[in-house]
Amino acid sequence: MSELLRGIVGMSDWRVWAMFCVGLALIWLAVKKEYEPNLLLPMGFGCLLANIPFSSAVGGGFLDVLFKGGITNELFPILIFIGVGAMIDFGPLLQDPEMLFFGAAAQFGIFFTMMLALLVGRIPGVMGIPGLREAAAIGIIGAADGPTSIYVATRFAPALLAPITVAAYSYMSLVPIIQPPVIRALTTREERMIRMENPEREVSKTAKVIFPIAVTLIAGIIAPMSVALIGSLMFGNLLRESGVTERLSKAAQNELTSLVTILLGITIGSSMGGTQFLNPTTLLIIAMGLIAFVFDTAGGVLFAKLINLFRKRKINPMIGACGISAFPMSARVIQKMAQQEDGSNFIIMHAVGANVAGQIASIIAGGLILALVR
Amino acid sequence: MDTVVLEGLRISGLSYILIFVVLGIFYGLIKLLLRVFPRRDGSA
Repeated sequence: MSELLRGIVGMSDWRVWAMFCVGLALIWLAVKKEYEPNLLLPMGFGCLLANIPFSSAVGGGFLDVLFKGGITNELFPILIFIGVGAMIDFGPLLQDPEMLFFGAAAQFGIFFTMMLALLVGRIPGVMGIPGLREAAAIGIIGAADGPTSIYVATRFAPALLAPITVAAYSYMSLVPIIQPPVIRALTTREERMIRMENPEREVSKTAKVIFPIAVTLIAGIIAPMSVALIGSLMFGNLLRESGVTERLSKAAQNELTSLVTILLGITIGSSMGGTQFLNPTTLLIIAMGLIAFVFDTAGGVLFAKLINLFRKRKINPMIGACGISAFPMSARVIQKMAQQEDGSNFIIMHAVGANVAGQIASIIAGGLILALVR
Repeated sequence: MDTVVLEGLRISGLSYILIFVVLGIFYGLIKLLLRVFPRRDGSA
């Protein structure tokens, strides 16, 4: 009898109710608003499972087993990257390699937010003073790349993993709301109407096969800490581009990604315990995540405007905003904005090129941060 | 500014520059690939 009653008694803790609300809010966002439903729905349910008083799912239960077997050792984000790599067509980037630099520029939010976290952490009474590792883990939300955020946060700030993941995935789904006002604030209508010729060059299959191998080797030699991330992404892409492993490529895109997403979501959700999650630091992380996305967008747009000063054939500066890794959402948003200004302006190929460049750049950023921050 | 903030600034700046450097190398790699393997090779 007392076994039954202790669950009911445990409900007297306000944090249990608060976390139920958080879990239900995530499920509502997934079901009603369709914001990253594949991740937010399992996360919301994982949150409920973990916060039921004396839940057998945590405290040595199956969610703890999954956490140790998939998050602590960084396995789940790596497996997700294999699937992502198999889904990405680097063709638009290979046709127009200049787009790579927009991917680099749009990582600005990571470093701006990292510095902001360090400075805010030094205001007495605002937040526990985070070291460089915690600040870097918060900044990496600006990678706009869920698996990279999870990978870095697991290493640098495991206690902050849940809010960082929630922020990263939430803002990725909110790209259509976050990016347009920032872009409009930084560009004129004439700039947004700039037309860009579609690259007509063909890319050979050989080049597409060599690209993922060469990128892995080069990135790995420069930043060995990035090998797991970039290597898994490029391995997935090689499965796709080789043309001889279609079954494996499809399995990586569908079965592997779906299965790991279920496990990743519910396991991250289970780390949202009331005592760890309900504190001012969580709110600050959520706020800083938004700042990271805003400054990513601004970094990309301003970089495009800067290089336009030196170019004869101008680049539509909105392309710079696609350098964030939120693929393919950002490219779609920018194409839609271009067509709002001029219905016959198609910049989607350039936008997709910059967007996949952002995917590569965010991983390189993650690898560099892992290598440089001690 | 304390040493942690200065170290953060140094790492942030260096990382941001290095991303451009690494992606610049990839830019060169792609240009090279396009030059060496300039067009479809039949099976694409």
